[in-house]
Amino acid sequence: MEKDFLEHGLNFNRRRFLSKLSLGLGSVALGSLLIPDLFTGGSGDEAGLPPGIPDFAPKAKRVIYLFQNGAPSQLESFDYKPKLREMMGQELPPSIRAGQRLTGMTANQTSFPLVGSYYDFKQYGNSQAWISDLFPHTAKVVDDICIIKSMYTEAINHDPALTFFQTGAQQGNRPSMGAWLSYGLGSENKNLPAYTVLLSRGKGNGQGVYSKLWTNGFLDSTHQGVQFSSGEDPVLYLKDPDGLNRFERRKMLDKLAEMNDISYKEFGDPEINAKIQQYEMAYRMQTAVPEITDLSKEPDDIIKLYGPDCLVPGTFAANCLLARKLSENGVRFVQLYHQGWDQHGELPKEMAGQAKDVDQASAALITDLKQRGLLDETLVIWGGEFGRTNYSQGKMTVDNYGRDHHPRCFSIWMAGGGVKPGIVYGESDEFGYNIVKDPVHVHDFQATVLHQLGLNHEKLIFKHLGRRYRLTDVSGKVVKDILI
Amino acid sequence: MKFTLKGFAGNLLFAANVFILFLLLFGGEIIIPYWLQPIGRLHPMILHFPIVILMLAMILDFFRFKESYAKEPFYQSFVSWLLLTGALFSAITVIMGLFLSKEEGYTGSVLQWHKWTGVSIVFIASLIYWCRDFSWYKLGVSRVGAVVIVSCLLATGHFGATLTHGENFVLGPVTSAAEPVKVPIEKAMVFKDVVMPIFTQKCLNCHNLEKAKGSLIMTDSAGLFKGGKSGKLFVPGKPEISLLLERIHLPEDEKKHMPPKGKPQLTADEVAILKLWVKANAQLKGKVTELAPGDSLRMLATAFLAPEQSVEEKFDFAMADEETVTKLNNNYRAVYPIAKESPALAVNIYNKDLYKPEVLKELTSVKQQIISLNLNGLPVKDADLKIISQFVNLRKLNLNFTALNGEGLKELKSLKHLNGLSLSGTGVSYAAIKQIVNMPELKQLALWNTQITPAEIAQLQKLNGNLEVIKGFKDDGKSPAKLNLPRIGNEKSVFSKSINLDIKHAINGVQIRYTTDGSEPDSIKSLLYKKGIVIAQNTSIKAKAYKKGWFGSDAVSFTFYKSTFKPDSVVFLTAANEKYRASGPEALTDSQMGTYDINAGSWIGFREHHMEALMFFKTPVNISAVSLNVMRQLPVYVLPPEEVEIWGGPDKNKLVLLGKTSSRAPLPADEKTLMNVETKFNTQKISCLKIVAKNLKKLPKWHPGKGEPAWIFIDEVFLN
Repeated sequence: MEKDFLEHGLNFNRRRFLSKLSLGLGSVALGSLLIPDLFTGGSGDEAGLPPGIPDFAPKAKRVIYLFQNGAPSQLESFDYKPKLREMMGQELPPSIRAGQRLTGMTANQTSFPLVGSYYDFKQYGNSQAWISDLFPHTAKVVDDICIIKSMYTEAINHDPALTFFQTGAQQGNRPSMGAWLSYGLGSENKNLPAYTVLLSRGKGNGQGVYSKLWTNGFLDSTHQGVQFSSGEDPVLYLKDPDGLNRFERRKMLDKLAEMNDISYKEFGDPEINAKIQQYEMAYRMQTAVPEITDLSKEPDDIIKLYGPDCLVPGTFAANCLLARKLSENGVRFVQLYHQGWDQHGELPKEMAGQAKDVDQASAALITDLKQRGLLDETLVIWGGEFGRTNYSQGKMTVDNYGRDHHPRCFSIWMAGGGVKPGIVYGESDEFGYNIVKDPVHVHDFQATVLHQLGLNHEKLIFKHLGRRYRLTDVSGKVVKDILI
Repeated sequence: MKFTLKGFAGNLLFAANVFILFLLLFGGEIIIPYWLQPIGRLHPMILHFPIVILMLAMILDFFRFKESYAKEPFYQSFVSWLLLTGALFSAITVIMGLFLSKEEGYTGSVLQWHKWTGVSIVFIASLIYWCRDFSWYKLGVSRVGAVVIVSCLLATGHFGATLTHGENFVLGPVTSAAEPVKVPIEKAMVFKDVVMPIFTQKCLNCHNLEKAKGSLIMTDSAGLFKGGKSGKLFVPGKPEISLLLERIHLPEDEKKHMPPKGKPQLTADEVAILKLWVKANAQLKGKVTELAPGDSLRMLATAFLAPEQSVEEKFDFAMADEETVTKLNNNYRAVYPIAKESPALAVNIYNKDLYKPEVLKELTSVKQQIISLNLNGLPVKDADLKIISQFVNLRKLNLNFTALNGEGLKELKSLKHLNGLSLSGTGVSYAAIKQIVNMPELKQLALWNTQITPAEIAQLQKLNGNLEVIKGFKDDGKSPAKLNLPRIGNEKSVFSKSINLDIKHAINGVQIRYTTDGSEPDSIKSLLYKKGIVIAQNTSIKAKAYKKGWFGSDAVSFTFYKSTFKPDSVVFLTAANEKYRASGPEALTDSQMGTYDINAGSWIGFREHHMEALMFFKTPVNISAVSLNVMRQLPVYVLPPEEVEIWGGPDKNKLVLLGKTSSRAPLPADEKTLMNVETKFNTQKISCLKIVAKNLKKLPKWHPGKGEPAWIFIDEVFLN
């Protein structure tokens, strides 16, 4: 075996070297013809950035993602379709559906009666965007947000769609967006994880969220999302056990790190180093976390802004307030999930409850970040994993209907972080079924988010098992039209 | 003298030299007749001949004295002829060039250089031709001559090319890769940043100081307004009669069309911009943002300019030492460049417990580079501002919720670039703010949650017109919100002797009113909750929260149950349904109350048969009442037990029936409820207790499940 290696080295003689070299030079020269920027200088990272947008310093430093898990209906929120009310009860024309695959829940349905929004819409702000009556607070900040009405995805069921949104692939085990950001940008505040997750649950029909959604995938495990829970211990197992003081804890950690270091030297497994770092981070979090999760010192106006629920741990409002505090303290990616948006039936009733849960606090977050001068550098995203059908699932009555999953077209909004405020981007057809203008694929969305944080989605790569992986897989383009 | 062709050519060369000398001496007074102009214009074509021929001649001349060549007559004669031809061509070229230079549009230093290097070629080449056969003309001289001529050729060629193609023509594609920096829209001037760049890109090649075609110099506004040979370029306000626009709009084939055919043409947008600019009186001053938002010129200009705020500031200070920056970073202080290769640093400091002024002092090693400093929520004192005042390039300073009172704010005046200052939640006073409100770059000031009044804020804005004061969200009291529900803090609702009532509310300063009789609490008459209220018997609490400026909350209900005794062990004699077994028989006395959710794990359900449970006490107890907490929920077939029997005795073999309770028959109108079924009897001293709860065996006829057995669900047993 050793001999083989030696011989391999000797095989590399001058002739071979020169012939390889000439080939190499030739290919570089050829390459320069194909890639005009190859020799123009500039660091490699900038070379691939889209021209026209000066991408030196990033616009956004942090992200707060208000994920509406279960997929809120775009037709009762931001995509106003009066035509559906006119055609209430009539069949969805097959030419519009155009062979869209159905979920198991409506696959056996013989009729697809169109159903308009139970709730009225009005126009708001300078952009004159249409917003339904369910979101009165969001309507007040409409001039600070950018509504995208032309999102589309590839998945038609919750878990794959959610996983696709978070990790860029429908199957699990790839790193999620927050992990990629943590990997690409690192942590701003070393006392807190770069990626945190907050969960809340509305009364509507819910869908599960699992820790695989905030996984580090094949990235180093320091990039994993850390879940803050609503109980007395926001971060589980963070407190020292009774009887152990901080000094002893320190001594224990030092000894542990020493031993871990020995085994790192022996085996060289990077996960050992990750482990040491996690212990250290947890030690620092012991003092940082209580300060942040203590919401009792927030002034009264802030409480009124977010609504009284913001002091009830585990509510969406409380999580929004907490998200602001975490973000303010340098957490790169705060991921909220609000469950309960899966309205296959009882949509008018359930959606009203869900909207009430999130509307005020979402809008409050925008206002609060803005008054702290943080909105410029914080990208806030609000939206679900797909949209909902324009026809009713199951029986339809005047005040009760349901909507099935719809991947072809749905609405989200973004605010701050260098996204143009007060605009509406993209359009769906009059049935709210297909996109007619400026489609935005999930990968485009992801590319845009990364871009706003100063990362080129084509360059943020991790090589794993012989393949180079990206959040946007092999596609995605930055939606420049919505950027300042 | 024998007439030879060579002799004739030599004479011609002499004559040409004299003529050139003449042109040079009296050039200023000569006017080239129009029929000679085409000769001058052939200059750019003819010039290639002398370059090549002379170059070749000089190379051959360089090696002329080499032994083998020196003996070669053909070589000698060929070089001589070649030199003569080259010199002649260069003379002709120079004459043409001098003619051409008389045409308007050629001035400037490049032309002078071109002219004199060109003329030198003729003179030196002629001199070499005439002297090269003298005896002193040897190897060294010939080589010097050759080198001089070749250098002159290169220089002349270069200057000439610069005249025709402009500076940096050859390397342009490589060196000017950096696109012209777009000006951000908020800073852009209409003329300087929108109109002028069009001239610079499309017109300046021919209308500059060096080469002022048509005597028009477009390098600055003075030249533009002066116009050229054909008159003024434009009549402000009247694009339709302005020469500039006339020329632009001529068909491209037209001779007078500008830019000339073959040169880069104006785009439709550029034409429109020029037209609109002239129409708007060709103003030199004025910002793009001063135009109305719907103004056509503004809209077109926007496409040419960088969008708002998007151009990063270029920082003119040096990069900080990388090692210093690394050292400054620790767990509580993040110091990082705002982007790759940017010298500017952003600093965030965290953890209020560890903050000391030293944390800031240490930053003075990078005081030039810090452009953003975030001290939000730290106990920063006014004295510390003196340290901050050294960070001269600071743009953004966040002092929200710090311990400032404003005395030290004047120190910040030295921060000439500061444009954003956040002082919310601090004790700053109006007087202190007033001192710094006129800082040159200050644009944003956050002052919410301070003692500064709206009137004072208005005053501040008057003092600095560019200032945006962030007043923050202030509740105007016009749309009060509803309080959320009070929370019962007691973990268990079952107690043995007494329990302290614990009602909480998330919001400070809330009043909690409650009733114990099942009536709705109100904000005046109902009991006010205080700490230390003791409950000693079964009690139903209904509570609401109230606060000034808010709507009262909905009512929350809660029932406390007394269960004086707890058995040491519990066993079932009949098996519970396998789906609803909670945590086993002990669940009956674990003080955990269930909700309507039968799957929540606190309910024990029986359907196939009745419930029979045995409870054992190690020390005998005196019991007079046993009550079962059960559920009634008709749609899911859940009913209270039809009959409850309580048996007791010293051990399980000596039990006697102590009491019996029957429930009334169910009615269709029965709402779902959680209820107590109590069986009372004379006090008995017992060590073993048997509870038998019988479910209804046949649901009544009106029920959907008529004839089937009903469920019983029990979550707790209270023994008193």
